[in-house]
Amino acid sequence: MRYLFLAIAVLLAFFLQGRISVLGISPDLTALVVFYTGLRYGETKGLLLGIITGAIEDSLSLSFIGPHMLSKAIIGFSSYFFVSGGLLRWTPVLGIFSVAFLTFTDNLVVFLTKAMFDRMPALFSTALFVSFMQSLLNAPAGIFIRPKHVD
Amino acid sequence: MFLFLAVAVFSFVLMTYQSRKGHTLSVDFTGGLLNSMHAATQSVTDAIKRPFRMIALRDAENTALKKRVQELLLEREKYREAMLEDKRLRELLALRERHKDYVATARVIARGIDNWTHTFFLDKGSADGIGKDMTAITPKGLAGKITSVTGSYSRLLLLNDINFSASVRLQGSRTEGVLSGTGTSRCILKYVSFEEPVKAGEIVITSGLDMLFPPGIPVGYVSKVGGRADESNFQYLEVQPFQDSAEMEEVIIVK
Repeated sequence: MRYLFLAIAVLLAFFLQGRISVLGISPDLTALVVFYTGLRYGETKGLLLGIITGAIEDSLSLSFIGPHMLSKAIIGFSSYFFVSGGLLRWTPVLGIFSVAFLTFTDNLVVFLTKAMFDRMPALFSTALFVSFMQSLLNAPAGIFIRPKHVD
Repeated sequence: MFLFLAVAVFSFVLMTYQSRKGHTLSVDFTGGLLNSMHAATQSVTDAIKRPFRMIALRDAENTALKKRVQELLLEREKYREAMLEDKRLRELLALRERHKDYVATARVIARGIDNWTHTFFLDKGSADGIGKDMTAITPKGLAGKITSVTGSYSRLLLLNDINFSASVRLQGSRTEGVLSGTGTSRCILKYVSFEEPVKAGEIVITSGLDMLFPPGIPVGYVSKVGGRADESNFQYLEVQPFQDSAEMEEVIIVK
């Protein structure tokens, strides 16, 4: 049941991501699903979902497989390891910062890997702006995505 | 006690007298006085209440009018949207009639999920005759090219994507070059010799030499002439596409 829920969540995230945009920038909803999974079900499951979601995202983005897979895996792993009590104890403010930081990291990892292994997908200043804006769009979700022990 | 008895006797005498002779003492003057006082009090109360009542009345009226204005604004927006759609569709129809190699008119249904690739998903696919590498245009100019197609959907690669390239020429001087996306809202025009005089504002059109895009489709205008590019023999030219991808809703696919 849990896996079905996560599959539907990922599907919905992909669907909505293509429909919503603010200033031409969409919120990274798949990153939020992976963050949620990592935070609720542990780093292994977060990592696995990150890899699967990232691979789908890579195949959908006309790119080589790898950049999103790596970036989402980082989110899935670190959301539990750093935020859910492993290193830091979760609070709503930490939730906001961690979602913003991990979204920014996700973008940066994709940008850098594409720049290294393919070609630079945009100017660095544009990349920073896009990453920052997407982090801002994702950040409020950090209040609502909380670990199990907080519930 | 004596006083009470006196009052009682006086009352009985007075009542007996009046029952036989009629009312001797009128109290009408007090009634008039009281009525005047009531009227005065009423007018003072009214004077105080009136502004408040008016305010309440105006508030209710204001609320109703505001609601009505909102309804009318919504209705106007609906009409405006329908009018704009009608205008767009007329332009597309005119464009379709101009192009003999017309394939289909498609609507943009979603944008690509990745921040680093600039793509749109269209609601028409191979079932409507759309194929890979076909050209997408709008009444403003070139929109991009089709990169992948399924039965009912297709993916449009926009001009500003880094993977986009097209053979173009400057409309005035007929100088050829290659237009490439940069990942930003602008494109760059490559391989234009440093000796060719290029002015900002010159129109860029497709040349058709790449065998992908039909010739003569407006692409954009030269927005920046930046001198020699990277110590090479070519100029650094920025091109602002005519079609802003943020405003794109429908496209025409041509062969």
